[in-house]
Amino acid sequence: MSLHIINLHKSYGDLLLFSNFNLDFAEGEITCILGPSGGGKTTLLNIIAGLVEPNGGNLVGFNGKVLSYIFQDPRLLPWQTVQENIEFVLTDAYEQTQRQAIASRFIKLVELTGFASYYPSQLSGGMRQRVAIARAFAYPSDLILMDEPLKGLDVKLKMNLLKAFSRIWQADKRTVIFVTHDVDEALMLGNTIIVLGDIPIAVKARVSIDIDLKKRDMSSDYFKNLRLILHNALGD
Amino acid sequence: MKISISRTQWISIAAVAFMLLLWKGLALYFDSDFILPHPEDTLVKTLSLFGESQFLFVVGATILRGVIGFAISLIFGVGLGIAAGLSNDFNAFLKPILVVLRSTPVIAIILLALIWLNANSVPIFIAILTMFPFICTNTIDGIRSVDKQLVEMAQVYRVGRLRIVREVYVPAIMPFIISGASSAMGIGWRAIIIGEVLSQPRYGIGTVMHSAQTFLNVDAVIAWTIIAVLLSYIFERIIRLTEKRIVVWRAKQ
Repeated sequence: MSLHIINLHKSYGDLLLFSNFNLDFAEGEITCILGPSGGGKTTLLNIIAGLVEPNGGNLVGFNGKVLSYIFQDPRLLPWQTVQENIEFVLTDAYEQTQRQAIASRFIKLVELTGFASYYPSQLSGGMRQRVAIARAFAYPSDLILMDEPLKGLDVKLKMNLLKAFSRIWQADKRTVIFVTHDVDEALMLGNTIIVLGDIPIAVKARVSIDIDLKKRDMSSDYFKNLRLILHNALGD
Repeated sequence: MKISISRTQWISIAAVAFMLLLWKGLALYFDSDFILPHPEDTLVKTLSLFGESQFLFVVGATILRGVIGFAISLIFGVGLGIAAGLSNDFNAFLKPILVVLRSTPVIAIILLALIWLNANSVPIFIAILTMFPFICTNTIDGIRSVDKQLVEMAQVYRVGRLRIVREVYVPAIMPFIISGASSAMGIGWRAIIIGEVLSQPRYGIGTVMHSAQTFLNVDAVIAWTIIAVLLSYIFERIIRLTEKRIVVWRAKQ
């Protein structure tokens, strides 16, 4: 099973972002999309999420898919606690007791036990983003979209969040589309890595990695080599 | 318990003292209870009002009118404000009405109300027409200021429209509603008392102020004024306390 974007067309005024753009995603995998910042990657996710209307083209296989979206900002409700923020997206899908149990489980998975009753204003930026990750996974979705959720966080925090993310992902292997401009993030998480070029956007490279997330050694020759290939494709 | 008074509080106390001194000075200058009674006499008069048999009825009637007028303004102001904030069409419809309401002189509304309504409802009617536009306008501004990204998030997660209003919009506009309610209350009490002076219901602060004025009981007019100011102050405090309880997520930083 896979998802297809076929002949996508999108422009903003004179700015042509996509023209005859095609891309496939494998289900049950993490697909990382690498590309220069501000190059229409967010627009691509928003088209998939149905937040932006394309000017033309088809999305095949996305119909009826339930989505989670991890945005660049955590987008938590400031007036709700961590627990309530997660339950906020679960209310229509589960009974109250079930909802509480699910929220608690994911709070534990992102290592925020003890912070369930905290308001977002009382948490650090990294903790808030972990709540957003927990919310996305707690939600019974078929597909998780991620738009550079680690942008602007320091390296140590990034590593922690990546670990938290891959740990939760291992549990249910949902389809993930992860947009980033950071090659190392893509190498750590991606089953498939796609490099996009400047606008109008085209696929410049496509790499598959068949190594389990837990067994990846970033300092091995294999990954050093891949890193070089990806940087070249990005034109760094 | 040790009570500490900050520098700004001292300055505010000095301002009150200045007003009292000015009052005393003017009272000494005019030297007539029919023009300006002495502050200490007025204070005694104010305290004596509390003992009067009709006091509770008079103040109670005014408070009741205020609360009824405020409740109706709040329900309609917030309800219509949310609708106008969400729908540009409805906003275009409501805007001219609000502009007319806000720019109509209160006295014109009173004169018409005196013809249309009975003495008891005139002050309530006026209170509604003066308070509603404040609350409504603030609610519209509040809705406009809601973070669209949060709404987008809720939509992606397929949260129902009603729950988006209740859990995203309403908490976000709460500070706006409270500040609108607070200015509405300030204006509302004044409108109610003017209404009472002119419509002369059986009980009401305005009613007793008017009769005191007729008999040149200047001390009673001022004493009732002080009670009206106290009333306004007490309700302002209640609104601020409500704000602290509702906007708890803000205070906890």
